[in-house]
Amino acid sequence: MRKLGFFLILFFISLEGYTKKTEENSEIHDLMAYLLDPAAEAIWNSAGYVITEEGEFNLEPTDQEGWDKVKHGAKVISESSHLLSMPNRAVDNVQWVTFSMALKEMGERALQAAEKKDSEELFKVGADLYQVCVACHQIYWVKEE
Amino acid sequence: MKTTLRIIAFLFFGVFTLQVYAHHAFTAEFDRNAPINITGKVVKVEWINPHAWVHVEVEDESGKTVWMVEGGTPNTLIRNGITKKTLVPGTTIIVRGYQSKGKLCLPRCIANGRDVTFPDGSKVFMGSSGTGAPRDGADPREPNRE
Repeated sequence: MRKLGFFLILFFISLEGYTKKTEENSEIHDLMAYLLDPAAEAIWNSAGYVITEEGEFNLEPTDQEGWDKVKHGAKVISESSHLLSMPNRAVDNVQWVTFSMALKEMGERALQAAEKKDSEELFKVGADLYQVCVACHQIYWVKEE
Repeated sequence: MKTTLRIIAFLFFGVFTLQVYAHHAFTAEFDRNAPINITGKVVKVEWINPHAWVHVEVEDESGKTVWMVEGGTPNTLIRNGITKKTLVPGTTIIVRGYQSKGKLCLPRCIANGRDVTFPDGSKVFMGSSGTGAPRDGADPREPNRE
């Protein structure tokens, strides 16, 4: 019974530490909220279709300014991989960094698609980007506000 | 000692699992205790990442209401057999899903779709796996735990 009490104390101490660590990760939260989310939205909102009874509308950018916004988003995503991998931010050196580097690849692919003005490829990259996000969030989750 | 370890393992996994699910996107936006069936005509389909959106016009004695139903990724829908050719505006469908937390339809009615039934009676999963949505049996690839 004493052992159980000892382990319970250890458990609650570690839980408190975990909670504090999560709250301290507001840097990651901000990086997601102010850099990665808007960058991903720029890619997601620039590829795809809207179908109504009036017809089908392609969401691809119609001018250079629109493609430049996609390029900006793509570059933010690829460079954010380094920001996420900084030693004081990386939760571990294996999976965390692997997911971060996967983001880099997504950003680079999106940039190439935008440079070629290839909306079909951009649509595929958008889908793959989301899979990277989901896979990472299923393992790591930063506390929401 | 085994019992002690079991209790510790239970506490750890129980609490950490709750933490993960408590902050998931589904529970942030939708109410698992507010299931809904939406029967109406498709008026608009947005094939965009990360979620396709199906706009369904419901007509009753009070008038017409358009529900925005969130689906899985376009790729997920296509893999399940929902395509631009099968989900066309004008089709009457039945969507089973969950309402958004703000149930007053302000500024618009929003729901998370789990499955969609077509006029020929075929029912297809239209949601996302592993997003924290209830394991209600809608996703044939996901074990039903609830």
